[in-house]
Amino acid sequence: MIWSVAWKNIWRNRMRSLVVVMAIALGLLGGIFSSAVLKGTSDQRVREAVSRETSHLQLHNPKYIEDQEVTYFIGTGYKPIAAVLDTIRSVEAWSPRVKFMAMAGSANAGIGVMVNGIDPDLERQVTEIHSLICDTCGGWFKGGRGVPIVVGQALVKKLKVRQNSKIILTFQDMQGNLTGGAFRICGIYRTSNSVFDEMNVFVGRSDICTLLGADSLLSHEIAIRMKDPDETARVQKLLQSTFPDLKVQNWKEIDPILGMLNDFMDLWLYLFMGIILLALGFGIVNTMLMAILERTRELGMLAAIGMNKFRLFLMIMLESVFLSLTGGIIGIILATGLTVYTRHTGINLGSFAEGFEKIGYNPVLYPSLDLYFFINLTILVIFTGILASLYPARQALRLRPADAVRNE
Amino acid sequence: MSIIAIENLEKSYHDSEIEVRALNGINLNFEEGEFTAIVGPSGSGKTTLLNMIGGLDKPDRGTILIGGNDITRLSSRKLIDFRLRNIGFVFQSYNLIPVLTAMENVEFIMHLQKIPRADREKRAMELLESVGLGDRIHSRPSKLSGGQQQRVAVARALASRPAFILADEPTANLDSQSTRNLLGIMERLNHEEQVTFIFSTHDQRVVEKAHRIIVLEDGKVITDRENIPVVEP
Ligand SMILES: Nc1ncnc2c1ncn2[C@@H]1O[C@H](COP(=O)(O)OP(=O)(O)OP(=O)(O)O)[C@@H](O)[C@H]1O
Ligand SMILES: [Mg+2]
Repeated sequence: MIWSVAWKNIWRNRMRSLVVVMAIALGLLGGIFSSAVLKGTSDQRVREAVSRETSHLQLHNPKYIEDQEVTYFIGTGYKPIAAVLDTIRSVEAWSPRVKFMAMAGSANAGIGVMVNGIDPDLERQVTEIHSLICDTCGGWFKGGRGVPIVVGQALVKKLKVRQNSKIILTFQDMQGNLTGGAFRICGIYRTSNSVFDEMNVFVGRSDICTLLGADSLLSHEIAIRMKDPDETARVQKLLQSTFPDLKVQNWKEIDPILGMLNDFMDLWLYLFMGIILLALGFGIVNTMLMAILERTRELGMLAAIGMNKFRLFLMIMLESVFLSLTGGIIGIILATGLTVYTRHTGINLGSFAEGFEKIGYNPVLYPSLDLYFFINLTILVIFTGILASLYPARQALRLRPADAVRNE
Repeated sequence: MSIIAIENLEKSYHDSEIEVRALNGINLNFEEGEFTAIVGPSGSGKTTLLNMIGGLDKPDRGTILIGGNDITRLSSRKLIDFRLRNIGFVFQSYNLIPVLTAMENVEFIMHLQKIPRADREKRAMELLESVGLGDRIHSRPSKLSGGQQQRVAVARALASRPAFILADEPTANLDSQSTRNLLGIMERLNHEEQVTFIFSTHDQRVVEKAHRIIVLEDGKVITDRENIPVVEP
């Protein structure tokens, strides 16, 4: 019965309660939606970076991590590692890579690049670069004459070349001599990270090993894609203990900024929502104080007839919680609607696209939030209501019934 | 044994510098089934006395035994529970919870006493019928007249099955028709169900209905006498 009295009490001053409820709803709408945009952007960046750049896990010769010399390859070759990976069910695919720095030159310009010597069929199971080649931009190691190379859109612009143009890679071979080779652009890819696109070129592993003067097929890096990303840590541990001579890194270690983005985003969102709720909490405190002041006599009467302090407190606390929760639920519903809608359509920041791509972000934002966020937020909203009721309730409990019921 | 026994009750208020002796050595006993009016000029201490008996305030000196318990010694927490279980209150105004219907207002106090819903609904209905509001049980206080609201308050006071009912100027805000109506109901409850009423009033027509009249002046009892109620023609 106290619950229903509390609920009815908040609608006694309909206008005043509606104003607080709307303030809470709009405050949360703004907060949740900006959180969703932030979270969506960061998730998207992480997802794209993992599926295009870092994969989930990478294995290297530990020396290679410190100094990317061609001679620091994985001594055993990739076959024994592949044999182990084959037995791990949560691993989806892997790709061995020869990887080193080179100069890329066209008739017009020259620029430093990272050469990724890969097995096209293995690589396409690990990264999605192959799918980021547009219909008119050639293909993933398909057709054409000459030794194929796949390059990024940004590099094409820098070198002022086109599809089927020839570019020259110059680098040191295994003996430390300067060498090089001519490649024909068979495909041009484009991710949303223009720095990555300018930096990374893909060539056949056997083609490049020949040019390096290696006796056999080398691997500097083995990139692993997980079927079940939640298993990453476990597989990392397993691989590290199986291959103690190699260094096994997960994507957060490979790209620490990316890892930080992922880890701190949640903390940041809660902090952000916490500040909004704190501000809204003061609005609730104010409303509740007014409501209690108006009802001094009624509260005194309730205490006089035998409503104890706990129940009075409960009633006032419930009023405060109902206020915040009503606003909270409306805000959450509105924000969910807006988030779901914009996730469907995407938010296209067309005019800022170039700037976004320079820092590695997709210019079309897809807001996203998970269920946990909403559950935790609802708990936070209730908590805010409870917190906001403490001071007003204390004021109410200090009323002395004899004073409150006296007729002046 | 008396249901209420008051000895040497004293209470002073300190209003800035001036000390006001609101009660100055009150000795009184009340028996079950009384229908007693407390009268006296404004400021004579009627409200103060009723608040002391009701456990809403504490005296400076003296004892108030209710059913053998000295309520002046109870902690404020125990006192709230004591009020809930033993004393019925009817105030001059602001008796009811505005957001609840007449029926729910009567039920509310039984809810505080943890009486099961079915029992309290039945009792609330019976009580509202007995105060003549059987047809208004679903009305909120704002839809009831002042007299009807006071009758709901009487029903609410009865609902908790108290030892007695204290009413501080229950008819002060009522017109003469409603006053007569409310008094009639109180008399009938007293007569038929031995409900004990102790009420204060300024209204001579109300005083005349009492079976006992206590007159206060300057915090002292100056008259305490039996009264044969005037029977209306
Ligand atoms: N809270 C208080 N603070 C200071 N003085 C008070 C307080 N309550 C009552 N008094 C004083 O105590 C005296 C008795 O007051 P009380 O209200 O009991 O009188 P009363 O007989 O009920 O008067 P009325 O007929 O006007 O209701 C008065 O002089 C009053 O001014
Ligand atoms: Mg008075």
